[in-house]
Amino acid sequence: MSSPAQKRLGQVSGHLGGKVSGRDAILQKNPDDVVVTACLRTAFTKGGKGGFKDTAGADLLVGALKSLIERSKIDPGLVEDIAVGNVLAPGGGATEFRAAALVAGFPVSTALKSLNRQCSSGLQACVDIANAISAGMIEIGVGAGVESMSSQYGPDAVTEFSELLESHPEAKNCKVSMGLLSEQMAKDRKVSRKDQDAFAASSYQKALRAQEDGLFDEEIAPLTVKYENPKTDNWEEITVSKDDGVRPGITAESLGKIKPAFAKDGSIHAGNASQISDGAAAVLLMKRSTAERLGQTILGKYVAASVAGVAPLLMGVGPWAAIPKVFEQAGINKDDVDIYEINEAFASQCLWCSNNLGLDPEKINPKGGAIAFGHPLGATGARQVSTLLYELRRRGEKVGVTSMCVGTGMGMAAIWVAE
Amino acid sequence: MAANGMLEFQTPGMNGYAVKYSPFFDDRIAVATSQNFGLVGNGRLYICKMGMNGIEAEKWFDTQDALYDVAWSEIHENQAVVASGDGSVKLFDINLNEFPIQAWQEHRREVYSVAWNLVAKDTFASSSWDGTIKIWNPHRPASVLTLPTHSCTYSTAWSPHSPSVISSVTSDSHLRVFDLRTPASSSNHLVHLVPVHGVAPRTNGVPGAEMYSSQPSECLSHDWNKYRPETIATAGVDTIIRTFDLRNAMGGPLAQLAGHDYAVRKVAWSPHLSDILLSASYDMTCRVWSDGSKTQPVGQPNAMVAQGREIGRMSRHTEFCTGIDWCLFGSEGWCASVSWDKKLLVWDVRAIMRQ
Repeated sequence: MSSPAQKRLGQVSGHLGGKVSGRDAILQKNPDDVVVTACLRTAFTKGGKGGFKDTAGADLLVGALKSLIERSKIDPGLVEDIAVGNVLAPGGGATEFRAAALVAGFPVSTALKSLNRQCSSGLQACVDIANAISAGMIEIGVGAGVESMSSQYGPDAVTEFSELLESHPEAKNCKVSMGLLSEQMAKDRKVSRKDQDAFAASSYQKALRAQEDGLFDEEIAPLTVKYENPKTDNWEEITVSKDDGVRPGITAESLGKIKPAFAKDGSIHAGNASQISDGAAAVLLMKRSTAERLGQTILGKYVAASVAGVAPLLMGVGPWAAIPKVFEQAGINKDDVDIYEINEAFASQCLWCSNNLGLDPEKINPKGGAIAFGHPLGATGARQVSTLLYELRRRGEKVGVTSMCVGTGMGMAAIWVAE
Repeated sequence: MAANGMLEFQTPGMNGYAVKYSPFFDDRIAVATSQNFGLVGNGRLYICKMGMNGIEAEKWFDTQDALYDVAWSEIHENQAVVASGDGSVKLFDINLNEFPIQAWQEHRREVYSVAWNLVAKDTFASSSWDGTIKIWNPHRPASVLTLPTHSCTYSTAWSPHSPSVISSVTSDSHLRVFDLRTPASSSNHLVHLVPVHGVAPRTNGVPGAEMYSSQPSECLSHDWNKYRPETIATAGVDTIIRTFDLRNAMGGPLAQLAGHDYAVRKVAWSPHLSDILLSASYDMTCRVWSDGSKTQPVGQPNAMVAQGREIGRMSRHTEFCTGIDWCLFGSEGWCASVSWDKKLLVWDVRAIMRQ
């Protein structure tokens, strides 16, 4: 599509769509579409004990960005901006992530920012880059996310609230811990322990099957890191290429035996909530016309994204608020979507959202989710893009949604089309 | 002369893109054409004269790249400006031969529309796929002002009632209105940004809010009503012609005219009747419509969207219809249309109206 005549033809042929709407409209290929030409993630490993426990967040990012350059064969000098979602690093990680980009092989001319919209930071990073491309601010960019919960998870991540914030009834709810408020929400919205455990067990089982069938192999870029073996206290060099949270033998019954973590009569426990993990993910974005000019492989396109606010104590309902909003923007409905990647922060909230949106359970997280393989906060949103696009492509399906709830009461959702 | 009192003129090898009647002479028509459907090759501006022997080419001017639109000067009866695929805007004087008297190369992509200001007659505008509208004075070597639309801009038009109000429609499904009297600011004189497809349906249960909304789609053409100063018609890829009242632009369309099978490429309000407009479409037809404003009051708070009515159809073109214009003179119904079928047709709307 490089000659002017072909560009003109592309522009004018768009006029002949006639009365195209809904799913057909988002499946159209236009030169100004923002497309994904490479996406990947590191494996996700358990916080404090997994393969990345001794690896700094910025080093994980180096790994993801390096693999992205290798895999896409993009000239790193053409990448104008990188957005990195991160939640826990002091200062948002802005300094060390810029350094990480340089280590990964990007020249000094490639800009970088870090951003924090809590658990949707990785998605926000991709959306920011997509919007900057649409607006013409940049031509090629990377949306990424990273979190080292091993090294940076803890009470320091939230600043003490001032008296002023504490004096406002809704504002002070913003700092209520995720576990406590999800427990309350599960109670209020009557999501039973049994249903949560069944949902969580199914996440484990789906992830295990997917891992055994090699369905994560395309999205995971192996990363070699230093690791202190707790048994021998020796430093070893290991290559991590598998999510270590996925394990066999988990059933609703086995989960039923675990004690609730946040309240005696509660329903939430380590087995039906997302795992604390380390990992990074990255997505290479550009206009379709640019991808075609550079001979990049187009994996899918970005269609639309939404963000929605909800009550801080009901942060778990975020996807329920954000998903209909993004449907409106794109003019599609829930039946037009083939796969939903909805982050499993807690089985309770994911289940409640999908039930209340009336989604087909078969379409939700077909390779399992954060309950089974972890939720490195800032990385998850960028991780979902890889998980979704490779699975859509494998099945020959087209339309996917990624979504998550966001701490302090928000939801985010985006629509992607695999090609 | 073709059947039904229709006049025909062929433009061999050149696919029609736009047609405009002279505002000074009732027998003169300008036609912008391009080789190879405007995809690659030269352009040609025809100046046609209607006489006892039908339509004859009085003169033509060849250009390096395709021509997509033409507008007659409102101040000089022999001058016309063209929109070219190479991003240039050229002013021709038909008393001279071969070359334009002025050419401006500022747009970075195809120029798809030119419009002459009907009130401040030393001013005209162009719009381009580069996402800008540029305002020009024929005597100045560079544009006077650039208005960003941030979106492939298929059509620009001046308000016929004001020297300083200009509008555009774009591939992002929006109608923009700029008022150059507003102070320079970050809004770049933008005073209305109207989603042609309607506002997004709301989830908070506002009844009727979803009534007007449909899918966003590329908007290709628009025109100001000549009698109702706040009324604009828009049309494009979703095949529906809509009219808007700028006094309540976000209230949704006044009227929706549905019927074309493919995208509408051009709409033009009648210079004689306030409720009549013409359309040219990729479905190879040109149609005449009443927007329903004469028969039902519009703009009432509780009024439904008026469903205008198709009152006639001209199906003699055999390819995409790209341009249409009304004759300003004489009896109220003569018009001219062009098409990729390499024909200019001049016909009387009244001859094709349904009885």
